[in-house]
Amino acid sequence: MATLPPALRLSEIQKSFNGVPALDGVSLEVAAGSVHGILGENGAGKTTLMNIIAGLLRPDSGSMEIMGNAAPVGSVRESRAFGIGMVHQHFKLADNQSVLDNIVLAVSKSLWSRRGRGVLQNIDYWCRELNWTLELQKPVRELGVGQQQRVEIIKALCGGGKILILDEPTAALTPAEVDELSSAVAGLANAGMTVLFISHKLQEVTRMCRVISILRRGKLVYSGGVAGLSMQQIAEKMVGAKVDVPRLVQPLGHAESRVLLELQSVDYRIGKREPPLLSQINLRVHAGEILGIAGVDGNGQSELAAVISGTVDPVAGRIMRSGAARADAPANSACIPEDRHKEALVPALPIVSNLLLRKYRHRPYVRWGFCRFGKWRTSAAALMRQYDIRSRGIDDAVCTLSGGNQQKVVLARELSDAPEWILAVNPTRGLDVGATAFVLRQLLDARARGAGIILIHGDLDELLSVSDRVAVMRGGKLLATPWPQFTRELIGRMMLAGA
Amino acid sequence: MNTAPNMITFLSRQTVTAATPMILAGVGELVGELSGVINIGIEGSMLMGCIAAYTVTGVTGHGTAGLLAAMVTGMVMAVIFAAATVWGRADQIVAGTAMDLLGVGLSGMIWMMYQNWRENLGFSTALPHGSGFSPLAIPLLRDIPFVGPAFFEQYLLCYLTICLCVGVWWMLNHTRLGLIIQALGDAPEACHAAGVRVRLGRSMCLLFAGTCAGAAGAYLSIMQTHAFAADMTGGEGFVVLALVIFGRWKLPGLVGGCLFFGLINSLQQTLQTARYTSQNSVLHALTHVPFQFFQMLPYLAAIAALAVMSRNSPGPRYINIPWPSAKT
Repeated sequence: MATLPPALRLSEIQKSFNGVPALDGVSLEVAAGSVHGILGENGAGKTTLMNIIAGLLRPDSGSMEIMGNAAPVGSVRESRAFGIGMVHQHFKLADNQSVLDNIVLAVSKSLWSRRGRGVLQNIDYWCRELNWTLELQKPVRELGVGQQQRVEIIKALCGGGKILILDEPTAALTPAEVDELSSAVAGLANAGMTVLFISHKLQEVTRMCRVISILRRGKLVYSGGVAGLSMQQIAEKMVGAKVDVPRLVQPLGHAESRVLLELQSVDYRIGKREPPLLSQINLRVHAGEILGIAGVDGNGQSELAAVISGTVDPVAGRIMRSGAARADAPANSACIPEDRHKEALVPALPIVSNLLLRKYRHRPYVRWGFCRFGKWRTSAAALMRQYDIRSRGIDDAVCTLSGGNQQKVVLARELSDAPEWILAVNPTRGLDVGATAFVLRQLLDARARGAGIILIHGDLDELLSVSDRVAVMRGGKLLATPWPQFTRELIGRMMLAGA
Repeated sequence: MNTAPNMITFLSRQTVTAATPMILAGVGELVGELSGVINIGIEGSMLMGCIAAYTVTGVTGHGTAGLLAAMVTGMVMAVIFAAATVWGRADQIVAGTAMDLLGVGLSGMIWMMYQNWRENLGFSTALPHGSGFSPLAIPLLRDIPFVGPAFFEQYLLCYLTICLCVGVWWMLNHTRLGLIIQALGDAPEACHAAGVRVRLGRSMCLLFAGTCAGAAGAYLSIMQTHAFAADMTGGEGFVVLALVIFGRWKLPGLVGGCLFFGLINSLQQTLQTARYTSQNSVLHALTHVPFQFFQMLPYLAAIAALAVMSRNSPGPRYINIPWPSAKT
């Protein structure tokens, strides 16, 4: 084994975008037949590095060697010829075309042949190897995320991939799909493939990989074995500072304080004949507590959030917001929606406008019907400092920010006016360790201030660490958990029971 | 002209004759749009094709030279458009409008210069005798009732257009090239990841579209009419744009739409003549209607058909979005 050249060797890769360095002299070696984890926060340069390996980006300087041979950089064709196959975080599939057509599009060399027998055999071989079944004639848009990912992996393998790059492969998967993926990855490594596994989730990487490399702000800060490193140490290397995951010290059991938000027998459904999406929901949020709501995605959490925020009306039941039955959420509430891009932000507008979305037409931001942009800017600049939003300036479009910074913009807008109650849905989805800690700390600060918080969250560990009480959504019903004995195992069972 | 079979034969033949240039330009436009670029300036390219074909045929005396010149001219127009939109990231609607205006103005100017030049030299501006194309009847097949004259007493370019349609249809549905072209307009990032050069691919599709539009122009000036007049395309380029949508970006739908438009067009022409010759009092009463009204009818039909048929048409998603597109 020692004589085998490394599958991949990068030396002094340098890349900057518009003068901002994204990768700063990264050198890396990946042993053949290994599963190599690439860790780093959002914006650390993981994806940029992988795109360079795959030939989608051309580095400013630096060189690459594959299996001991110097490989040209900056060409997808060349990289593929050298056996690099990449599965992107956002799949690069043509939705309207069938699975087979997508694979043929990517794999075949001929312009004419569309039903190459070689391709079919290849697909068949890999499906058997991984024990997968693919519905080749189905349009890709009709497949679930997990299936689409399999199409991407098969596509990469059929393209002659010897070195497979998986960019954030678990971000969109359910826990069961993650397990299946990790056994497939192990199978590929056994078959002699080299797998580069990119993630910002520590647990997955340490479970699947024996060797990791950690990137921080474009620099390689660690490359070596996982054994002997604690989670805490890895997290510190990623963030570059001590990280403590915020944790609620003294959960409240039954708050005596004022009820800020109350749902009484709320039902919700879309059509009259459709099955109910929410049935008989009763809940209360008191001042100074965090009510956590757990559940497997798609059990009514999105509908509950919509009903609470007032974007849809329940078909039955009452919602008391701040002690009054009113249809819309009052100004002193805050909402951190599930989908940053679609519901929380206007991606094409600058940071300053996004920060002022809720109050641009109130004093002092407007006078005599005219916007006072000076006030906007001073206010926005203060918020950016306070919430540590990192960008080149307040006039940058929000879509140019990293995910963590986008979420900080949302938090800054929603939480800065000391709202009475807060609805937060998956507020840390897609965020790295540092940003996650920041978001949870903000919620805990709001709680300490006396706000009532309802936290609908898919990450059970985070949910349990900050919630006073926890309830479980299953099949549109809200199930209370015994207090204070809510454990991870009990809640996990409640989430899945009967499903 | 007073027997019904004659009438049907005449109408069907006229329909195909009128539809051919639109089908030709439409096939090109369809391929361009599938690759993610809408060229609303094909009217301009067609006009440039008209004048190029007419002048080159007039000077050389060879129709084939005129046709080739028209195709090259269409390609040149496409190069300008591709440079602006695909490589320069210009808005396709604005650039397309500019291409239309360029075609209208430039073809009119060339026409005036050509007339002056020919007259100063003492030549006629009409095409030399026999240099334009005449219909090419195919023996035996032309004798099939109704269909024969419609499809087998046409210009050579019409036969080539039929072959082109079959070829492009096959290419789009049965080859990897077809997959690539459709992915260029629907998921360019999938093409990019597959190692296909997106901008190059789109440019190629536009070159094909330009060549087709140029040839369609040649059809109008040196085959169908043997004449040139300013704005002689009469908005057909724009009707083609509508028919691509009408056909839901599918070739058979597009061809059907073109034939339908051609049918309405030949019907209105027939009606215009018939009102003077017919003994029928209703038809005769139509003599008071201005002829422009009849000329308007096909366009009215096109709008009506478009309004009815094109609801929720799923077009290529990346039309008018330059590559590489900004994220989100």
